[in-house]
Amino acid sequence: MSGAFQTQAARRGIDWAIILVVGILAIGMLLPFLWLFSMSFRPVSQAYQLPPSFLPPSLDPANYKAVLASRVPFLRIYANSLLIACLVTVGQLVTCTLAAFAFSRLRFRGRDTLFFILLIGLMFPAQVTILPIYLGYARVGLTNQPVGLALMYLTSSFGVFLMRQFMLSQPKALEEAALMDGAGYFKIFRRISLPQLRPALSALGIITFTQTWNYYFQARILLGREESMTLPVAMDVLRGYLGSGNLSLVMAAMSMSVLPVVLLFLFAQKFVIEGITMSGIKN
Amino acid sequence: MTAAPFRKRRPSDLERAQARAGYLFVLPTSVLYLTFVLAPVTLTIILSFSFYDPMLGSRWVGLENYTRFFSDPRSLQIFWNTLRFTFFAVTFNVSVGLLLAVALNRAMPAWLLYFFRLAFFLPVMIAIAFAAIVWSYFLANDLGVANYYLRLFGLPGVPWLTDSSVAMTSIIIVDVWKNTGFFMIIFIAALQGVPKSLMEAAAMDGTPAWRRFFRITLPYISPVVFFAIVYASIGALQVYESIVILTQGGPGDATRSLSILIVEQGFGSFQIGYAAAISVVMTLIILAITALQQILSRKWVHQ
Repeated sequence: MSGAFQTQAARRGIDWAIILVVGILAIGMLLPFLWLFSMSFRPVSQAYQLPPSFLPPSLDPANYKAVLASRVPFLRIYANSLLIACLVTVGQLVTCTLAAFAFSRLRFRGRDTLFFILLIGLMFPAQVTILPIYLGYARVGLTNQPVGLALMYLTSSFGVFLMRQFMLSQPKALEEAALMDGAGYFKIFRRISLPQLRPALSALGIITFTQTWNYYFQARILLGREESMTLPVAMDVLRGYLGSGNLSLVMAAMSMSVLPVVLLFLFAQKFVIEGITMSGIKN
Repeated sequence: MTAAPFRKRRPSDLERAQARAGYLFVLPTSVLYLTFVLAPVTLTIILSFSFYDPMLGSRWVGLENYTRFFSDPRSLQIFWNTLRFTFFAVTFNVSVGLLLAVALNRAMPAWLLYFFRLAFFLPVMIAIAFAAIVWSYFLANDLGVANYYLRLFGLPGVPWLTDSSVAMTSIIIVDVWKNTGFFMIIFIAALQGVPKSLMEAAAMDGTPAWRRFFRITLPYISPVVFFAIVYASIGALQVYESIVILTQGGPGDATRSLSILIVEQGFGSFQIGYAAAISVVMTLIILAITALQQILSRKWVHQ
């Protein structure tokens, strides 16, 4: 009796010891974020102060104002990032859901072959498509156009795959009943399937927005001119312009740049995690 | 056609309407996929066998770009860098992620789990370009945060980004900080699928915990582990921005990766055919890893 009790207590003890260790690690993971945030509120004179401090001394927005007033078109760059991320997110939600509906609900010749060809797309890195796209864009004048980057990603193999997985796990009874009643496929898709897909749409939307917000390789190649840049690339440029001694400004710009993604994650953690597990587990 | 022994059953109206709807629904994705994936990949393959210059025109050069890649000591060193990075980044991302998942796969208050997910997953959500800039200040030699703490404990500072024997390790550390949370999340979900009854029965028999892990848990989640390894490899082989921002590929070529070489050759020196060949090599490795995973997982996983 008492032996069993002891081992149980011992096990709880071990549990908490492990949680404590992971907790310390977790705080360590967050330190770069805290440092960045606190730095953005610090006057330049204290920027390199050691020991480092991870809490903002005050909430004086001077550095933020300075970024907006600088000669780098920060707001324009921010707008570019927003435009691209929104276009791509909406585009993928539409195209991927439509395709996924066909792949999971409709029968037509060549369906499985087509789906397989689409899945192979998961294995092609941007590196192997970017040269011809760049050369083509240069010809039609789409380089240095934010829309050009968005066009590349209006659909995605991952999105189709994720939505199809989700649809396959949903019951079909309602859709079949509507078909019997003579409803057209587009009506069934819009009225019956789409409302059921809300969790998957949120997951795909958030994942896509974040991914697009963070593109660097493609953005750096296609959008080289300052007024067409996106934030990740611009940050590197900002660092050169303002960074010589003015770390605080760069960190203020960075805080503003990570804000949408951090907010998305704080308020929609559940959807992000569900989306990722859905694609990873049922592979 | 005329003497077909069996006439194909004529599809009913319903079937035809369904097929028509099907093609219509996949049309946007198919057109975009053809334009922005299949056609560019095909063109890249063709380019990789040619000398191409927008001004000077183009000509077929056969395997020249490939032999150049595999005989130039510089590109071989960069190739080796990328493989080395991939090996260590994948190993640590996946194993640390698994370790964290096992550590977190126990009873704890909901707010604590939320906090842990937040802490480990936030780096995954942030652009590596942003994260790398912060890290570049953390890892600076004299005014860096990391060296400040090392010196505080009487240890010598480490030239994290400026010494060719350390720089790659630093890049890997940043990569693991950035990505391991992704694998943690996947593994947490996988661990929850391991039947509790099986684990409890083994615990009753007095099987030690580490043995239960290797005998029951690991085989059970092995498909997810395989997926994680392949996914991590595909990502790691493309490593670009963290290196560009932290070391610009240096010191020397110590941390230069294939992606950096592609950009440098294709967009810096306008060696477009050569850059195309390098990107094809990268893609072939990705395909090989994926194929290997398919074969191995068919052999091992489902038993």
